[in-house]
Amino acid sequence: MASEVLKTKAEQELAQQFEAGMPNLPGSDVAWTKAMRDAAWQTYAAVGLPHRRVEEWKYTDLRSLLKDAYPPAPALGEALTTQDVDTALGQGAALDSYRVVVVNGHYREELSNLDGLDGQVVVQSLSDALTTPSDWLQATLGQVAPQPDDVVVALNAALMTGGVIVTVAKGAQVEKPVHLVHVAAVKDPAGLATRNVVHVGEGAALTLIESYNDHSALAVQRNAVTELIADDRAEVHHIKFQNENAESTHLSTWMTRLGANVTYRAFQFSAGASVARNQVFVRFAGEGSSSHVSGAVLGRNRQHNDTTMVIDHAVPECESREFFKLVLDDEARGIVQCKVNVHRDAQKSDGHQIAHGLLLSEAAEFDSKPELEIFADDVVCGHGSTSGQVDEDLLFYLRARGIPEPEARALLIEAFVGEALEKIEREDVRNIFSATTSAWLGGKGA
Amino acid sequence: MRAVVPGREISSKRNKLKMLEIKNLHVKIAEDNAEILNGIDLTIPKGEVHAIMGPNGSGKSTLAYVLAGKEDYEITEGSIHWNGEDITEMDPDERAAAGVFLAFQYPIEIPGVATMTFLRTAMNAIRRVRDEDELSTPDFMRIVKEKAKELGIADDKLKRPLNVGFSGGEKKRQEILQMSLLEPSLCVLDETDSGLDIDALKIVADGVNRLRGEDRAMLVITHYQRLLNYIVPDQVHVLSHGKIVRSGGKELALELEESGYAEFGEAAA
Ligand SMILES: Nc1ncnc2c1ncn2[C@@H]1O[C@H](COP(=O)(O)OP(=O)(O)O)[C@@H](O)[C@H]1O
Ligand SMILES: [Mg+2]
Repeated sequence: MASEVLKTKAEQELAQQFEAGMPNLPGSDVAWTKAMRDAAWQTYAAVGLPHRRVEEWKYTDLRSLLKDAYPPAPALGEALTTQDVDTALGQGAALDSYRVVVVNGHYREELSNLDGLDGQVVVQSLSDALTTPSDWLQATLGQVAPQPDDVVVALNAALMTGGVIVTVAKGAQVEKPVHLVHVAAVKDPAGLATRNVVHVGEGAALTLIESYNDHSALAVQRNAVTELIADDRAEVHHIKFQNENAESTHLSTWMTRLGANVTYRAFQFSAGASVARNQVFVRFAGEGSSSHVSGAVLGRNRQHNDTTMVIDHAVPECESREFFKLVLDDEARGIVQCKVNVHRDAQKSDGHQIAHGLLLSEAAEFDSKPELEIFADDVVCGHGSTSGQVDEDLLFYLRARGIPEPEARALLIEAFVGEALEKIEREDVRNIFSATTSAWLGGKGA
Repeated sequence: MRAVVPGREISSKRNKLKMLEIKNLHVKIAEDNAEILNGIDLTIPKGEVHAIMGPNGSGKSTLAYVLAGKEDYEITEGSIHWNGEDITEMDPDERAAAGVFLAFQYPIEIPGVATMTFLRTAMNAIRRVRDEDELSTPDFMRIVKEKAKELGIADDKLKRPLNVGFSGGEKKRQEILQMSLLEPSLCVLDETDSGLDIDALKIVADGVNRLRGEDRAMLVITHYQRLLNYIVPDQVHVLSHGKIVRSGGKELALELEESGYAEFGEAAA
């Protein structure tokens, strides 16, 4: 067939993998799960990998960026120890948290530590759940804030091997962060599709951290999706730490649905991977809620980092803020695109987005694309974006006080990133990102 | 403590060893051809305080920046020697390590850099060059708080990002705080008096006077004579169109106060 010929190598490999691997995926012998995977595959197969003529992907042409599709990571991965997990976590290992360790998509209870949670938070393996899908799962998976046209999400649904379901009881006030530690442990370059489903009950408070780490320096093509439901009056701090090696590809999608009077504070810290696409979809489903999505990106060499957000003001009286800071060196490229949709009935919506790029080299590039689609008349929406170099006057001031140039420069870059980190409420989390930034500036990577 | 030191007393004969020596200094903007300084000669011996006065636009700040090593300016002729060493090729941080300090006319706000972090980084950088150990946290805190108190700087100002949201007067105090912590041997103060009310001016002048001493040279730049009532100079120089056109004792400042700068190229207000 003509269309076969047009498939890229990666697309052909993906098709082979789906065909050959489908029988081994969790739930493949369960009608609902199999149908869900097949439908998702069809969505993907109809269009193939996204490319630059697809508007949402114009800065990140996956069809040309993905030369190969690596074979799926082995289900069980290697036998890791807690020490291995700490090593993979780097700076993040120091964080005092409830740890939920997921290796190659599989929830590993023996490496996790939920002591003291007392049933306020329940963690289940998604691989298990896919083999016995509950009514709740069937009504929830892929439907929290649906992205029917998103091919990466469709691929994830077709190929996911697991992840976790996290349920936070109504009213639970969870003190320590719950840390979903995703580790890739592979012996060869591999693909890995994982999904988390998180349900935060009414009035509950949770800090959820997702970190994406690797055990070896081998290339991993990760496709990670998190669906998060925050019920009325919940307070959720949702943080991602992306820490993968510079050979890897990181495709990540958050699909979040907020009930009424929810406080949602999201932060993404991205320093790893050669190609990273961070998608954040927030849907306001109840009035009086507020969503702040912020982030810091550190890029060097030829790293490509694209943060794409869609904030859906579907109901009145919600507030959304986006605030991003990107430091780009060498030939790194950073992108922040954010689309704010204000539906016709969503009066008194209030949205504002800001993105700042700091370019450390002539060849680095920062693109910012704000988009407002407003169908209501009584709204306040705005955006701002800047791109520039380290301010020479500030540099001179510091040097005039005896601070050598490299140190002065580092201080200013840390300050630049620091303004994004300030958006993180928890000091312990902020400190880890500060330390990671300092290490990055010192050339040690994330 | 000496609030006001009559200048002649400190410049005793045995201290006439030259410290700052500027010869025939010509300066232009790096990417421009217009000369801003055209042939400055100025010598400040150890222990002395010299004042530079002059109309707006005469090149006072340019001279200050060139001493501190700002890269926007190009020296086309002449030299600057500090303790016998030509500093014109030195980086700003090397000059700072060699004892040069510029109190900026317009101190810069540095968002995201905590004042304490900045002070500590600067002090330690300079101590490293002087082969001194880094300060311990308690020592550092104690010294900073002590000096801040002398200058009437509230503790909460030290916790904030450097100069961010500070008033003009608060920024000037921060400059003097930095100067007293870094203990430079050449202090260049660029219109430190502008924007200060009389009480703040006295506090700042006291801070400067505390630093006067046998081993230190100071260049005090001002537009107004008022500051020189509190920081009494040994010599006063008038800068006009990038050249020193008159030099004299402290009485020259008073004379200028009466006659204004009209004869030196600024229209009377
Ligand atoms: N960075 C600069 N770029 C362009 N012109 C400058 C710059 N710095 C100083 N000048 C010019 O040089 C002259 C002297 O300025 P300045 O040294 O600031 O004077 P003063 O401090 O005595 O008021 C002025 O005409 C000013 O416009
Ligand atoms: Mg000036």
